[in-house]
Amino acid sequence: MRRLPDATPRGRAITVDLEGESIPAIEGEPVACSLIAAGENVLSRSVKYHRPRGPYCFAAACSHCLMRVDGLPNVYTCRTPAKEGMRLERQNAYPSAKVDIFETIDWFFPKRLDHHEMFAGVPVAEDVMARVARQLAGLGLLPKEAGPEPLPPRTFHTPVAVVGGGAAGLEAARVLSGQGVPFMLFERDASLGGRLAHGAPEENAPFVPEATAFPQGSVVRKATVIGLYDDEHGRYLAVASQEAANLRLLKVYAKRFLLTVGGHPPTLPFENNDLPGVIAGRAASLLLRRHDVAPQVATLVGHGAELHALAHLFTQRGVEVAAVVDLKGPLPANAHPKAVIGDGLKGHGLRGVTALSFTPQGGRKQKVSCDAIVVSVPVAPGFELARQGGAKVEFDADAGHFRVDADADGRTQAADVFVAGDVAKVGSAKDAAAMGARAAQALLGGLS
Amino acid sequence: MSKALVCTCEDVTVTDVEHAIERGYHDVESVKRYTGFGTGICQGKSCHAAVAALLKQKAPALKPDGVVPFTPRPPLYPTELRLLASAPVDEAVPPVGGVPQELEHFPSALRPEGPVPQKAKVVIIGGGIMGLSLAYNLALRGETDVVVLERGYLCAGASGRNGGGVRMQWGTPALIELAKRSIDLMKGFARDLGVNVWLRQGGYLFLAKRKDTAYRLDRNAALHNKYGVPTRIITADEARQIVPDLTMKDCVTAAYNPEDGVIFPWAFLWGYAQGCVKRGVKVETYTNVTGFETSNGQVRKVKTDRGDIACDTVVLASGAWSPAVANLADVKLPNEPHRHEILSTEPLKPFLSPLVSVLDTGLYFSQSMRGEIVGGMGDPKEPSGPNMGSTLRFVSRFARALTEQLPHVGQVKVLRQWGGLYDVTPDNNPILGRTPGLDNLLQMSGFVGHGFMMAPAVAERMAQWMTSGASDELFTRFNLRRFEEGTLEREDMIIG
Repeated sequence: MRRLPDATPRGRAITVDLEGESIPAIEGEPVACSLIAAGENVLSRSVKYHRPRGPYCFAAACSHCLMRVDGLPNVYTCRTPAKEGMRLERQNAYPSAKVDIFETIDWFFPKRLDHHEMFAGVPVAEDVMARVARQLAGLGLLPKEAGPEPLPPRTFHTPVAVVGGGAAGLEAARVLSGQGVPFMLFERDASLGGRLAHGAPEENAPFVPEATAFPQGSVVRKATVIGLYDDEHGRYLAVASQEAANLRLLKVYAKRFLLTVGGHPPTLPFENNDLPGVIAGRAASLLLRRHDVAPQVATLVGHGAELHALAHLFTQRGVEVAAVVDLKGPLPANAHPKAVIGDGLKGHGLRGVTALSFTPQGGRKQKVSCDAIVVSVPVAPGFELARQGGAKVEFDADAGHFRVDADADGRTQAADVFVAGDVAKVGSAKDAAAMGARAAQALLGGLS
Repeated sequence: MSKALVCTCEDVTVTDVEHAIERGYHDVESVKRYTGFGTGICQGKSCHAAVAALLKQKAPALKPDGVVPFTPRPPLYPTELRLLASAPVDEAVPPVGGVPQELEHFPSALRPEGPVPQKAKVVIIGGGIMGLSLAYNLALRGETDVVVLERGYLCAGASGRNGGGVRMQWGTPALIELAKRSIDLMKGFARDLGVNVWLRQGGYLFLAKRKDTAYRLDRNAALHNKYGVPTRIITADEARQIVPDLTMKDCVTAAYNPEDGVIFPWAFLWGYAQGCVKRGVKVETYTNVTGFETSNGQVRKVKTDRGDIACDTVVLASGAWSPAVANLADVKLPNEPHRHEILSTEPLKPFLSPLVSVLDTGLYFSQSMRGEIVGGMGDPKEPSGPNMGSTLRFVSRFARALTEQLPHVGQVKVLRQWGGLYDVTPDNNPILGRTPGLDNLLQMSGFVGHGFMMAPAVAERMAQWMTSGASDELFTRFNLRRFEEGTLEREDMIIG
């Protein structure tokens, strides 16, 4: 990974402290992005086998980028803005994450380590193992301080609470504002748009409005919804809102909940799919579009429209694409020149990706040098809040993921819970926006 | 070394999932527990779909409609205790609601094909630790014509939802002796059953705020010593030597027994179930009891949604569901289900040795083998009922009570919260032995949220009593009759 030579400065150049070493960074960008742009690929060691890990999802949906930041353990560096002098330490490694002696665990147990049955009932060995396991378990160290008091909590009442400021949520917000219906929309990112702002480009994609396009106070950014709860006053969202350098808890009671949270970049099982340099498609597009950070030589694997759009984006931005392996096919008409249908994926490299091998359909196994394997598969719908709200969740066998069972207008089994976009049916941003508009109309029914 | 990972938070590989399938775990909830996938920092966001797809592809017994997700728990993203502590709580009103609502019935697609055995000597209703440990002990004594019926997956009930604390510090000799014996059996569990249960004897540190609670600790410590339990009353400074930085705010005294500890609950169920199956006992998961056929003061058949089982003896070991099951045989039990909520944090390197409990408020917390702070707290306003939903009220109350005693955990992040049911009896003691009016229906319930730590010893005694016919005062002392006769001896060392 590197910062592209044609990158225009997007912020103040600063340095952060990585275990005593100064690393260049751009103020405000995710610090994990600064680190990989500076060639620091290994950010953590995995919990059991101590496998080296670098950031994968850039969505706080995995654990590869967790570091100790300014004394706090297990911080998602993929979502933590870089600040001058920020202290970063890798966790779970001895003596260091680059040379971690516990990596031997990975080699001793080439297939799997069965902690349920290992040394079970073997005198002495069992006791020793229990002591060792306790010391090896756990990630990070207890913080030394209690931290500041959070800001006083606030309670809101709104007819409609929208979760997620991507294509579906924004279009719903536009419909609601147009009809003069008060609403509150919560977006965990600092900017709106979701994949419209940082995903693979899509033709005829909807336009991303500014927060100022909506009534004041109705769009809340840097606000992470942590639950859809209920109590003696009704159903509400619990929201962790980042304000200045502190946090505030919001309780947001609503008559209707519209969940447009999109999806999580899923894991794609193949050998060494966790090597530093294996990165989710949405993460790769975010790094490139927002931060001008990209692989030297990329390979792309996966399936769906985003895979091919991303390959084109790389080529347009001058990133060398060594292979595009479509695991499902057929190849679309506009497929990248390097695209083939194939399978049999395997990542190569010790501390980071150095090559990808795969078997093209009807061909022989190939090994291609690269420093990144970009995994672009359709996202896994974020059904969690909807399920907490009483919606039914079903397994979509063709897509291989769970999604919320909803009608075309986003109605779910729970009368006050509506969904739109990827959470109901994974598709284009345009599809998501259209469903967002329909769901906004639908939820107004019966709302007085 | 080459590995294909499905859950990278917990280092679960494709091979691990295949192994779980070989062991007979093919539904998502069971595979989650057996492999540990989805229990890490991301709580399944990146792996849930991948594992489900893998199971659909590789587990032949799993029907398409049976691919249901594990219950997603709040919070959606790791959240600091200090923030949760700031949530407003109205202590004057009882808790209302809770999310997510548990499925009332498990999907019928998960029900195994084929009927249950048409007859068995013993039918045990409930595949929690009580039922499974009893079945195992019966099998050890040669009685293998036993069927265990479980409505969900192994670990679906309280046995899979508790905090894993095991202690000898009880208030009555009967429970002290049972707990002592249980902990001894737990020490040998891996040897006997081939599964690690990670017993760690870091002690239990009880704190008392009120004078009457302090008096109870004093009195009980004397009782413990009499029965060979080395509990001692210690000063605040001594307590802080055991748990550095403990504030002991408003606490007047502390009791400590270094031989108490914590275990990993799920492994007991897997171990007992494997031990049962190996000896010929049938363990039938996702199977519902729908009724009983009775005549002349005896249960003749247990009816299930997979056919009827004619039997000589029925054991009711359904925990908080026992009153509902007993009702099917027109037996009224005085037990009531009470929700108790609990949470688990991000895993940290070891810093907390004992389980700490403030006896007055029901707060308890310990550090699991994996490094998570696991803890809960009872709510005096909690109404009875089968609610297992999670509330913000609980995490807020817990976070305040915990940070009062250990302020520097304020920035530790909660990963998941859940609820389970205490099976509460009027005198906080279990219900054991024969049922008046239905002689061959045996009771094994009412452990008030503390049955897990009692089960190995209770099952041993009960199997002996059932197979030898010799009398055992345990099954008279704790018989259902006592509630009619009014000779109650109340247990006062209940946490929560």
